[in-house]
Amino acid sequence: MNSPTSPRSDEVSRRGFVQLTLGWLAGTFALAASAAAAVRFLVPNVLFEPSLRFKLGKPDDYPDGSVSFLEDERVFLVRKGNTFRCLSAVCTHLGCTVNRADHGYHCPCHGSVFDEQGVVKSGPAPRALEWFLVALSKDNRLLVDKSQRVNADKYLVL
Amino acid sequence: MNTPFLKRLWQGFERTRVGRSIFRVGLPQSNLERSQAMVSSFLLHVQPAKVNRHSLRASYSLGLGLVSLYLFLILIGTGVLLMFYYVPSTERAYNVMKDLQFVVSAGLVLRNMHRWAAHLMVLFVVLHLCRVYYTGAYKRPREFNWVIGVGLFLLTLGLSFTGYLLPWDQLAFWAITVGTSIAGYAPVLGPKLKYLLLGGNVVGQEALIRFYALHVIVLPAVAGLAVAVHLWRVRKDGGLSRPDEPADLVQQVELSQLPVNKTYGLMELARGRTPQVDQNPEDQVFSWPHLVFRELLLFLLVTAMVLFLAIFWNAPLEELANPIHPPNPAKAPWYFLGLQELVSYSAFWGGVVVPGLLVLALVLLPYLDRGRRGVGRWFARERAVANSVFSLCLLVAVVLTLIGSLFRGPNWGWVEPWKSTPAITEEH
Repeated sequence: MNSPTSPRSDEVSRRGFVQLTLGWLAGTFALAASAAAAVRFLVPNVLFEPSLRFKLGKPDDYPDGSVSFLEDERVFLVRKGNTFRCLSAVCTHLGCTVNRADHGYHCPCHGSVFDEQGVVKSGPAPRALEWFLVALSKDNRLLVDKSQRVNADKYLVL
Repeated sequence: MNTPFLKRLWQGFERTRVGRSIFRVGLPQSNLERSQAMVSSFLLHVQPAKVNRHSLRASYSLGLGLVSLYLFLILIGTGVLLMFYYVPSTERAYNVMKDLQFVVSAGLVLRNMHRWAAHLMVLFVVLHLCRVYYTGAYKRPREFNWVIGVGLFLLTLGLSFTGYLLPWDQLAFWAITVGTSIAGYAPVLGPKLKYLLLGGNVVGQEALIRFYALHVIVLPAVAGLAVAVHLWRVRKDGGLSRPDEPADLVQQVELSQLPVNKTYGLMELARGRTPQVDQNPEDQVFSWPHLVFRELLLFLLVTAMVLFLAIFWNAPLEELANPIHPPNPAKAPWYFLGLQELVSYSAFWGGVVVPGLLVLALVLLPYLDRGRRGVGRWFARERAVANSVFSLCLLVAVVLTLIGSLFRGPNWGWVEPWKSTPAITEEH
């Protein structure tokens, strides 16, 4: 490497500098691009999961004053008089299914307690249980859309 | 000569052309051959021809690292066999467990061995970590090997976690649910990480196959490589730490002052010194048979222990995974119950911050605690402060684990184990 143009061995020639820079840049870029592609490969583009919008029974299937647990959807349908609301049964702490208890809901995994409005009364849950939009379909059946969150005071009134 | 028949038969085979081609050095008869046996064998050459007496003392190392390694090997052996039946499908995985229990010959014992070896490996890796701490063995020049060890500890936990998801029973389902939700609390990348781990938004087929791939190839491959480096570095750092170790790195400092335009032989470059320099030859014994036979004996003991557990106690299998009802209380295996107790106060602080800081402290430890005194002895008085801090952390972890194991009942409420558990009331 000791050519006449580089008097000291720790000095890099212009050509050497360009080669080094390009070499390192190309190597870094190749590694980064491969890593990014591998991570992107692992992110699914299509999900084969149950739809977040689903149809339930007729309003009269759920008696006045009832709180019905819908197993497949992991939600509670709450009816009071002519009003319908839909409460998530998924604990906001770490995703366990909460159980209905007297005057509220209990999570069996880490002991969070929620009141009738889904508000945290005690335990590690950071947020209240979520309420979902309830609507009525043309064929007179209840529709729930889990992708649309609403406030606890929003009802479907029939 | 009263040589046993089997030994004579073996020696007869060794002397044949085929025997020579395989073993090169037969059963050693002289000290020269004892060295040659270690150097010429692929499996033995990672170990030195001679070993310090101190390294052999069971009262110093307790053999904890070796036991962990043997458990890892047993796990690979039983795990590969289990793979011949297991199907990573939410519809079939649980049935395969039942087949292993009731239909497949030796399936029950193999699955039991795999489970108990996994539990024991977590236990022994933790004990090994404690041994290395209490003897100050993480100090220079072994700092980075300690860091690799911390990585192996995390890999062990990761292997256990991904492993107990595979039966797709209730424990499996709710462990993925809770575990990936904890990942979701990680700062910035949390929700994306959760999505990536699950391969979607819900715990299902995609999540199972991802954890399967992690469990059977990704994590074991990384752990296997890390184990190899871990052992190699033990050898390169001069065996186990001991009190009378010569000051290290001297030769490397000298190396930098040597002329660079000369060709050096390997002996001139290798770090440290030849075993004879500054050391009492009386302290060195031949690895064959002193080390090799102790290792074999320990391997037998470990295998016997795992087999004993597997024959008399069955690995737990809960009900089929049911996304609607978590078991109440939903408990992780014992080694995660301390974490679960922490998480029951706050998912972010207990699940992300505290474990993260603990791991960071473990990794930084050898670079922060740089005193040279008290290495190579248990509970050295010079290390009283360091040992007290560690003992306190250990005590907290044990207490949390005990609380999570014994004092938590339905809805993670406080129960006293000596009283009968209250009836679980559930209504929907």
